[in-house]
Amino acid sequence: MKGMETDNGKDKNPVIEIVEGGPINIKGRIVFKDLKRDITTDLDEVSLCLCGRSKNMPFCDDSHLSHFESIE
Amino acid sequence: MEGKNDNFSGGRKYTNGEITVFWKPGACVHASYCYRELIEVFDPGRRPWVDMSGSTTERIIEVVNMCPTEALSWKWNDEEKNKNISFDQTNHIVFRRPELLESKETDEGVKPISVKVMPDGPIVIKGDFTFSFDGTTKNVKEGILSICRCRASDHMPFCDGVHRKIGYEDK
Repeated sequence: MKGMETDNGKDKNPVIEIVEGGPINIKGRIVFKDLKRDITTDLDEVSLCLCGRSKNMPFCDDSHLSHFESIE
Repeated sequence: MEGKNDNFSGGRKYTNGEITVFWKPGACVHASYCYRELIEVFDPGRRPWVDMSGSTTERIIEVVNMCPTEALSWKWNDEEKNKNISFDQTNHIVFRRPELLESKETDEGVKPISVKVMPDGPIVIKGDFTFSFDGTTKNVKEGILSICRCRASDHMPFCDGVHRKIGYEDK
């Protein structure tokens, strides 16, 4: 069953992108820690809230999409 | 324009820090166990339709295991825990979507980056990475980024320490 795997992050450095008015998206090999909630985990992709509206902090839950204007 | 970054092979994934739930829309046969059992988490009328904060990890696993197809599958974020999965965990990716496990193992050669969410403070990222914001992309070696979460920084998107002054609390 080949053909649908993504090559993202295989031989590449992790990629970090800040979406205007939205989250910070990180793809690649990630050692993730949230010190407040005592979460330590390996991830290959994470999307973290920067707009402050998420109900699943620190992760993005797409709440920024409920307002159309971007956040200053 | 690229699509959202939580897309993968036409699917999506959602985490609560402990487990990741994978959603593969094309595989859904609308058996509707997910939302009949746990509308707090799986609500087809809401966007995003999966809210991982809506229930406990145990209950989410239980309901994902009811899905008769690979439309919903899950794994522990702690890879050690994924090594001994019993057969009653029917929708663990080991049984439903083993290709997701393999793609993880092929990442061995690349150095991981460290991503730390500071208590009521910024996101601090360390390592080698490619960073894009505001239309520019930079390759960074052994870099450190400190990204503002309180939204009061004078140097957006970077932290300038002002979260302490304003008493920012993330919740």
